[in-house]
Amino acid sequence: MDYDLGEQAEGLRQRLRELVQEHVPEGFLGAFTDDPEDLATTQRFCKLLAAEGLLAKAWPAEYGGGGSSVWEQTVVREEMWAHHEPRGPQYMGINWVGPAIMRFGTPEQQARHLPAISAGDVIWCQGFSEPDAGSDLASLKTRAEPDPAGGWRITGQKVWTSYALMAQWCILAARTSVKPVKHAGITMFLVPMDTKGITVRPIPNLLGPHHLNELFLDDVRVGPEDVLGEVGEGWSVIREALKFERIGIARYARCDRLLTLLREALGERWAGLPAALRARWTRARVHTRAAMVLAYRVVDAQAKGVVDDADASVARVAATLCDQEVAEVLLEALGAQAADDGHTRHPVLHGAVEDHWRYAQAATVASGTIEIQRMLVARAALAAR
Amino acid sequence: MNLELPAIASEFGATAERAFADAGGVDLARRAEARPEIRAQELAPLLDRLGALDLRVGDDMDTALAGAELCRVAGRNALPYPVTGVLASGGNDRPPVVLVDPALPRADHGDLFTRWRLAAVDGRVWEGRPEGRPLGTELGPFVVDMSVTSGAGRSADLPPVDVPMLLTLGGWQTLGTLERALELAVQHVNARHQFGRPLARFQAVQFQIADATVAVQSLRELARFTMWRLWVAPLDRLVDALALRAHALESAHSVLRTCHQLHGAIGFCDEHDLSILSRHAQPLLRLSAGLEATTEQLMAAIDRYGFDSLFDRGASARAAHRV
Repeated sequence: MDYDLGEQAEGLRQRLRELVQEHVPEGFLGAFTDDPEDLATTQRFCKLLAAEGLLAKAWPAEYGGGGSSVWEQTVVREEMWAHHEPRGPQYMGINWVGPAIMRFGTPEQQARHLPAISAGDVIWCQGFSEPDAGSDLASLKTRAEPDPAGGWRITGQKVWTSYALMAQWCILAARTSVKPVKHAGITMFLVPMDTKGITVRPIPNLLGPHHLNELFLDDVRVGPEDVLGEVGEGWSVIREALKFERIGIARYARCDRLLTLLREALGERWAGLPAALRARWTRARVHTRAAMVLAYRVVDAQAKGVVDDADASVARVAATLCDQEVAEVLLEALGAQAADDGHTRHPVLHGAVEDHWRYAQAATVASGTIEIQRMLVARAALAAR
Repeated sequence: MNLELPAIASEFGATAERAFADAGGVDLARRAEARPEIRAQELAPLLDRLGALDLRVGDDMDTALAGAELCRVAGRNALPYPVTGVLASGGNDRPPVVLVDPALPRADHGDLFTRWRLAAVDGRVWEGRPEGRPLGTELGPFVVDMSVTSGAGRSADLPPVDVPMLLTLGGWQTLGTLERALELAVQHVNARHQFGRPLARFQAVQFQIADATVAVQSLRELARFTMWRLWVAPLDRLVDALALRAHALESAHSVLRTCHQLHGAIGFCDEHDLSILSRHAQPLLRLSAGLEATTEQLMAAIDRYGFDSLFDRGASARAAHRV
């Protein structure tokens, strides 16, 4: 038994930290801000990673990737998330839009999209959720009707759709036929965001700018070549996409970094915090460690090609609850400095604590709510009697 | 990376599980409450036959994991025997060890041996002996008051006790108890019908099963990780082991509570294994330090040694870095 990630993975970790140190400005909190310079930072950083072969390192070599081990991919996930995702919106293209195109795309789609993603040239957004289709995604209503002139005409509304104002492309789920089984009849489209008929309306929200948008599609015309996979088989694409997301983001890595940094930042004030709060900080460190080793169990299964959905959900429940617990501990430790976006008169860690707390509110909602995860865990546990 | 238990450990655990099952499983604890002498007359020879008393958990990680598996299986069966203390003693020629609250030293199954080594989390060691008979309370049927016979307050003349190993083995024992309690709860909610359907069909019940499953798996992974850490990060052993104990206690409180809730009244009855598991688990959870006291000790240990993580260096990593 050995939990050492190995020299190659540790070397990668050091290199990523050097790159972050050199090329990501102090106080960077991700691309979800109103400052266009933050998005520019992520664009430059992606180019830099691409130049070193690190951006698509997880991809198979035939698609321009580095064919790295799942443990190296884990290191990338940990380091990027811990440092507020300096890949910005592009992580989505790398993590699953690209892999979905590898799996379901035509040679033409692969030639068009994969090099652009692996070079750090393109931002994708995802058009899945709708006002009436959240956890119950298969009940989505956006319609794609065959165009007599060829291709499809899409009308409907999407919501959440992070980075919609930044993205050049959208991977979009629409209903191409109404079937008795609602999972059937969904088709996946690759749609340029500058297509006529697409309107994006940002939704002011607690998480921060660019997280939540409404995406309106009004008779949007797409060609037959923009269908990803088979017509009516979109649900398998979604399932595949979600499979890539099963391990999810390495929330424990940012929790760990912030718990460590905050104690340093508070200096002598640390000892003056209520003992009960320091005890919560202590237990949060243990929970963060536990969330990490739970995630490693899923990565290990992935390496062996035997990922169990329920185990992945267990890791996700632990990680998301840990994320929210840490958010509360950190914000409470700041006391009156809690209201801090990094630009107040008394900033701590450049506003990272407030940013973390705000984003943590969505941890148990995004990419499959905790209720869905609990259902999956319970179903497996109750069946294994 | 290799997250699998070595075969020697999993096989040892499986053998012990079969042997305890053949000997009556949780019924051993019921019988011991009626006839305490079976602990020495039946269990000690049983453990001896298994080779448990010859395991030197301080020798190498694989042997330590075999010992840990034995403790887990002991926890699954509420085995009425101080397995962790015997394993951590450093050899069957030495008296068993037990972690105590120095203000009120008590040992579970303290009456089974005339000589003990008592240890505090801070490393102080005493020699002690049992005072009188087991308390015989519901939550401490075999808890015995201990008196200090030598070395009071000092570790002089007494070999050190491997406190981190003792804490870690205790974490594995609690893991076993929680695994079994959850299995019982799953069986119960599948079998028990109310309002015309199995309890398992109610989402309120499913979510409790889910949360308990997360807690048990989380403890299992941390227990394995901690045992690995004991062997690769020698300066961090106390911090890592206290972290496991804190997690084990926290998990025990929530999982046992959930399992009792889901069982309803039957779970409180001694005819049901849950009641036995729950009662016999309490000495390990309470006697030396409860959750809050353990957290305080962990906090103090972190102040001293650090807490190794992706972004923090523990004492071993700092020392290696200096070199």
